[in-house]
Amino acid sequence: MNKAFMGLVKKEFIQVFRDKLMVWIIFALPIIQLLLLGYVANLEVKDISLDVYDFDQTQLSRDFVRSTEAGKYFTPTTPEHSVLDLDLSFREGSREMALVIPEDFSEKLTTNEPVTVGLIADGTDANSASLGSGYMAQIARKFSQDIYGLERPLKVRNRVLYNPEAESVHYMIPAIVATLLTIVTVLLTSMAIVREKETGTLEQILVTPISKGTFLAGKVIPFAVLGMIELTLALAFGVLWFKVPFVGSALLLLGLSALYLLTTLGIGLFFSTVTSTQQQAMFFAWFFLIFALLTSGFFTPIANMPQWTQYITYLNPMRYFMEITRGIMMKGAGFVDLLPQTISLIIIGVVVFGFSSIRFSKRTG
Amino acid sequence: MNNHAVEINDLSCHFGSFKAVDRISLTVEQGEIFGFLGANGAGKTTAIRMLCGLLIPSGGGGQVAGFDILKQSEEIKKNIGYMSQKFSLYPDLTGRENLNFYGAAYGLDKKQILARTEELSNRLQLAEFIDRPTLSLPVGWRQRLALAASLLHKPKILFLDEPTGGVDPVFRRKFWQILYQLAEEGVTIFVTTHYMDEAAYCQRISVMHRGQIILRGKPYDLIEQHRAANLEELFIDLIRGRENADA
Repeated sequence: MNKAFMGLVKKEFIQVFRDKLMVWIIFALPIIQLLLLGYVANLEVKDISLDVYDFDQTQLSRDFVRSTEAGKYFTPTTPEHSVLDLDLSFREGSREMALVIPEDFSEKLTTNEPVTVGLIADGTDANSASLGSGYMAQIARKFSQDIYGLERPLKVRNRVLYNPEAESVHYMIPAIVATLLTIVTVLLTSMAIVREKETGTLEQILVTPISKGTFLAGKVIPFAVLGMIELTLALAFGVLWFKVPFVGSALLLLGLSALYLLTTLGIGLFFSTVTSTQQQAMFFAWFFLIFALLTSGFFTPIANMPQWTQYITYLNPMRYFMEITRGIMMKGAGFVDLLPQTISLIIIGVVVFGFSSIRFSKRTG
Repeated sequence: MNNHAVEINDLSCHFGSFKAVDRISLTVEQGEIFGFLGANGAGKTTAIRMLCGLLIPSGGGGQVAGFDILKQSEEIKKNIGYMSQKFSLYPDLTGRENLNFYGAAYGLDKKQILARTEELSNRLQLAEFIDRPTLSLPVGWRQRLALAASLLHKPKILFLDEPTGGVDPVFRRKFWQILYQLAEEGVTIFVTTHYMDEAAYCQRISVMHRGQIILRGKPYDLIEQHRAANLEELFIDLIRGRENADA
């Protein structure tokens, strides 16, 4: 093992753990944040994509489908998979809900019998799932009211997949875990490198025979390790305290997290090359974090954003990582399901990290 | 092939149209204490940074410890020690942790670091404060630690950029005693300073002004030649004369 590299890593860890306040900031604050954000408020949802399985195929059933478009809450779509595999389109993320109309729909409605339609929701987006169910109940009530009067109820039976209790905390925790990992790696990396500039130790290191590559690795890897520890801690807390289900493979999540770190460490490194004080680095890091959070699908589903903002989200690595954490934890998504996200992260990571390390080497002479 | 510790020819460094260092040439012999003088902004630090491989020259060239400054900066780094005018140890680490780190940076193993730390600790009298965070230490003690850090790998040449700035006279005297001992052991010392009494300790000096070397020689020869009372007077007269000529 390279002695200089080990020396750097050891020094970095001593520095992090010497600062007692820093230890609190890194390990305790995120848990508090987890508690607070775990119960964040509801948001309005529109344009929920709705797979329609119409087994009745009558004028009446088509009228009901059309009525779901009112208020723009739903956009009815034609299913890609049979009703037996309807969860496939959820796992691929192309649909958010499915409506099943039984074959005796119009027959029962015209003979005054109660009818129940099925509504299946993707519970990984707990917010959309619970709001969508509410909208559907209203639409059904109005439909039966408008045509037949009050006493002929059309009922909706809900079924929420993946997150049966539609717990928003189940949906928030994976997202918060993604956020924490981003904060630790972007913010701490950029500040740790800029601090070396501020104290003059960077110059002192540059007159030693340490190569730029070794320096970068020794500087970046300790924060990658801290980030992974934090990730594990937050996941354990989510699963044990909030009882968030963890359906998929933890190993896959850890592997893809390491890949995601390539992009965040690269961004942190980039900020350290364009700034000369820790304050500036912090400003840049926060600006990025807010941008990344808002366009990640954390608060607002990406499908609900205006089209041009949706294009911007493709540049945001956190967007993909958000889909990865939610997909693995809640839906049990496998590597193949997450291939598009994985490829996007590899491209962004290689470009950002490569560009930043070249820039760093040139800047430091 | 020659035996000069440092030899540079027409070395220049331009930042845009500003000539921070403008075609300077000099040689430093092995085991010599060479003083590099000049007012603030004269170009001393820029020149030192080029010699240490921190800055790429705009023109000219030379060698340090037998290695080409343009092509072999990695070899040069193994053979020199550098102490910048800015305190450059980690303030949140103790002296020993700093030395451990810099030792590893020079590729020393644990045993070597331990032995060298012990040796330098005795020599520079670091024992009483080596296990305290450097942040809490007086400037003079920090300078001695920084010197220890730059000596860990037994460099052939030591570059010191205003090493005694802000240090009281007693510490400065001690510091120079150490430098003399090192020079006797064959270490070449290239030092910039503001203090004229320190310049007098050097075997030879060069004076820089606006990127050029305007005077060079042995301190006492120079005083005699220019019929000055001391180095300080000589220095001030010289700079003033230059400035009047420029104006």
